[in-house]
Amino acid sequence: MSTQKSEGGLFDPGLQPERTALAWLRTALVLTVGSLVGLRVLPHYWGPFGLVLAGTGALASMALIGLAVRRYRLTGRRLTAAGPAAGAVPDGRLPALLALLTVCAATIAAVLVVWVAAV
Amino acid sequence: MSDRAGPAGGPPGRRFPRSVYGVGNEPDPRFTLANERTFLAWIRTALALTAGGVALEALGLGLHPQLRLAAAVLLVLAGIGTSAQAWVGWTRTERALRLSRPLPAPASALPLAAVLLVVGVCIVLAILLA
Repeated sequence: MSTQKSEGGLFDPGLQPERTALAWLRTALVLTVGSLVGLRVLPHYWGPFGLVLAGTGALASMALIGLAVRRYRLTGRRLTAAGPAAGAVPDGRLPALLALLTVCAATIAAVLVVWVAAV
Repeated sequence: MSDRAGPAGGPPGRRFPRSVYGVGNEPDPRFTLANERTFLAWIRTALALTAGGVALEALGLGLHPQLRLAAAVLLVLAGIGTSAQAWVGWTRTERALRLSRPLPAPASALPLAAVLLVVGVCIVLAILLA
């Protein structure tokens, strides 16, 4: 890596970690806004069950914002460390969690659409 | 290969998913980060498709009810499929990067375009038959 810098420096003049962190944040924000809309809509149709469902989604998506920030800090630390861990970007756990959350949200939306049409 | 355990990254050899990290070598981190951003863009696409389907059904708009429902269901199903494919695509691209192989084509692009074409036709008909 020709871009290795000392601790606390910039990893990449193209700001790759920063752009990735921002992409995580906008995605988590979209998910949070969606779950807040769900918080408004789901209890109306499904009562307490809808409230629990939307509440879980809202908490999970807010937690995702925190986890994304933490991931960015870790990425920055690893990429600017001149140690053996240099270059090891955090693994696929958070992407997997996000994909799972999105599949769940879309599945709930599918059930909701059919439900609204049937009622 | 590093030998330092990281809390969120997982210790080497125990990084998730094994199907990705069990093969090849560490690629340039910038490629990994670009792959991550592509994954996130697909996730946002899936969320937009889902929101579109819900909005179409929720707003009603005085369209032909059966055709409107068909378009809405297709949109949210596309949302489910796109988010699942986003993860699969991320793993396949990361594997290809680690093995220095050509990157896989975006598998969901053509099916998604086809579904959206059908959705568009449904909505046009729903407007005409309203």
